[in-house]
Amino acid sequence: MMHSSRLTRRSVIKGGLVLALATTALTTLGLPLPARAAGKKVIIGAFADGGLTPFKEKIIPLAKEQGFDIEFLEDEYGVTLEKWFADAHSGAGQYDLYLLDDPWVPQFGAANVLEDLGAGGIDGADKDWIGSMIDMGYWPPQQGPRVKGFENAKPTLICVPFVGDLQTLTYRNDVFTGGAPKTWDEVIAKGKEGVAAGKIKYPVVFRGVSGNPIVTSWYPIFLSFGGSFFDDKWNPIFNSAEGKASADFFVGTMKQNAPSGVVEFDSDQEGAAILGGEAGAIIQYSGNALKADDPAQTKVAGKLDFGVVPKQEKAIAQMGIFIAGVPKSAPNKANSIEFLKWYVSAETQAKLSEAGSIPVKRSAFGIAKPGNRLIPVALQQLDAGALPRPRTPDWAKVEELLGIELNKALQAGSGGGAALDTAAKQVKDYLTTAGYY
Amino acid sequence: MQGETQARKHRLQGAGLDLALPYLMLAPGLMIVLGVLVYPLWDGLRASAKAYRYGSPVADVGLQNYVRLWSDAQFLNSLWVTVKFVALSVSLEAVLGFALALFCLHEFRGIRLLRTVLIIPMVITPVVVAIVFRLIYASDAGMLTALSEAMGGGAVQILGSPLKAFIGLVVLDVWEWTPLMFLILLAGLQSLPHEPFEAARVDGAGAWRVFADLTFPMMRPVLAVAIVLRTIDAFGTFDQVFVLTRGGPGEATRLISIYGYDTAFKFQQTGYAAALFVTIGLVVLALAFSAIRLLRRVDAS
Repeated sequence: MMHSSRLTRRSVIKGGLVLALATTALTTLGLPLPARAAGKKVIIGAFADGGLTPFKEKIIPLAKEQGFDIEFLEDEYGVTLEKWFADAHSGAGQYDLYLLDDPWVPQFGAANVLEDLGAGGIDGADKDWIGSMIDMGYWPPQQGPRVKGFENAKPTLICVPFVGDLQTLTYRNDVFTGGAPKTWDEVIAKGKEGVAAGKIKYPVVFRGVSGNPIVTSWYPIFLSFGGSFFDDKWNPIFNSAEGKASADFFVGTMKQNAPSGVVEFDSDQEGAAILGGEAGAIIQYSGNALKADDPAQTKVAGKLDFGVVPKQEKAIAQMGIFIAGVPKSAPNKANSIEFLKWYVSAETQAKLSEAGSIPVKRSAFGIAKPGNRLIPVALQQLDAGALPRPRTPDWAKVEELLGIELNKALQAGSGGGAALDTAAKQVKDYLTTAGYY
Repeated sequence: MQGETQARKHRLQGAGLDLALPYLMLAPGLMIVLGVLVYPLWDGLRASAKAYRYGSPVADVGLQNYVRLWSDAQFLNSLWVTVKFVALSVSLEAVLGFALALFCLHEFRGIRLLRTVLIIPMVITPVVVAIVFRLIYASDAGMLTALSEAMGGGAVQILGSPLKAFIGLVVLDVWEWTPLMFLILLAGLQSLPHEPFEAARVDGAGAWRVFADLTFPMMRPVLAVAIVLRTIDAFGTFDQVFVLTRGGPGEATRLISIYGYDTAFKFQQTGYAAALFVTIGLVVLALAFSAIRLLRRVDAS
């Protein structure tokens, strides 16, 4: 007798249900769950920057010796803020530690997504901290104006300084033979002599791209001309006479003495210009400065020296430190805090200094053999004056508005003061909408 | 009696299954569509009616975000830049794509290889294309500057000038997406009936007459579909601008997608950004509907 097996609707549905149940059971019960971090695992998120090279090369191996299992995840600067904020805000728990750019601290602080590191046992009052650096880790800030809603809140240590980056001057010692130029006029005058002598192609180089890059390049000039950004009521005052003079100098004189394509220059291009031997001077963070003695990375090894930023009124630089925060959603929170305690200890900071990175504890500046000659200059700059950017969660937007106007003026090669007026109005309008006044 | 009851039961069960089976089969797909398309759209609409501070909703603001858009100079500028970019890019792509498709319609030695080569740009990842164009355009070490200097000229400054950067972006888009137009239009040309063309040839019509009176009118529906598809796609252009210019110099290449992205993620104005994207979605939908209606009218006439 022949047995026929017909495919019926019922058999299809039954088979489908059995298959679905079996698949669900296998995936949820039969297969191992994704491995969770165990022991002293710490997942660190960072943006790619040369300033972290000594940490990666010398300190991570030391951390491993201490029993920390460090997973170091790097991203482009331009995408990290949004990525980490989404991670912290949604509680996704992809990271144990963010190495933030310090202006981002207010955004994370206002959103209340970072752990209280003071409660975790990190001592913010330790006298060994560089005061201006540890101040940046508090939200709301301990000094200066506070945004609405946080006027009476108790400052909490939500971040700790990680690498003490700040702007300093890098200059060609065969062009500026008398040492670091003291004023902007000297930078331009001696730089022109260097161009005439065929030693360099341009007296200066800087970043001209809209937004953060151009504002970062203009800021130390603005500070050195004696400018202030906001008053204590968050009114923009960067378009003061000093501010306008700095902007006119920046988009006029500076542009005329920089590479012709400086409007589109970001850190890669400015780095190439100074390390490639084309530019005479630059104000920069440590990322490219740390490459100054490495013949593999510069054509002018031995010809680059460091100094305090030039002044018009004051020799003040911008501080822009790497600062570490632990998200509330961190899967290995206790390990992260333990790691931070070890990392900011005077001993580890001394190792960081030996490795060539700018430390965040004063004692580490004084070690016998710092790993980079930039380190003592960084301390000189700290003592001469270094200011952080205003502590507002809306800094990204403010910087964007200002950066666009400065970039337009730079394209034109004039009108820096007018650009500041336009930007000040836009900033005021924006902050009004955001409820600042 | 029992047999009759049994038969009725089977009939009922069969009818029930007949009714339920299509829905059961549709259910998984429907759930996915609801989860990944309808819910996010609904959530976006909801967000667009709220004010956000520090990543969290703080107040219901109704349509205020939508109203605010039209007094936001940055939004209006981005919209204008996007409209210019889409109009210029898609027009050029349509003309070039049509010309290439007409050329590649002919059979000659090497035509298959040529057709393959012509579609390569559109299969390259947009971010990679943008990086390559950055290496071409960069004023310090770009290929165009090297070429210009070798010929005795100076640095070619494309990304530092608003007009040149905008044109540079259009050139990138045309290079990358003309192949899509070409492919759609070539398929359309190959599907046209031969008889009208043979009749025209017998009547002694020249190449231009054949194109103007036969090819173009017959290709109009295909061309319209290709243009609508590319227009919708071009409105969402993001990666190339993000890598090449980030919207600069100034705001010369800041497309609406970049402004919306910055507003949502960098400035954390989630509600306002949602209103912006809903508005743009509606604009694109309106464009698509207008194009389709136009197409139907053309067909009817």
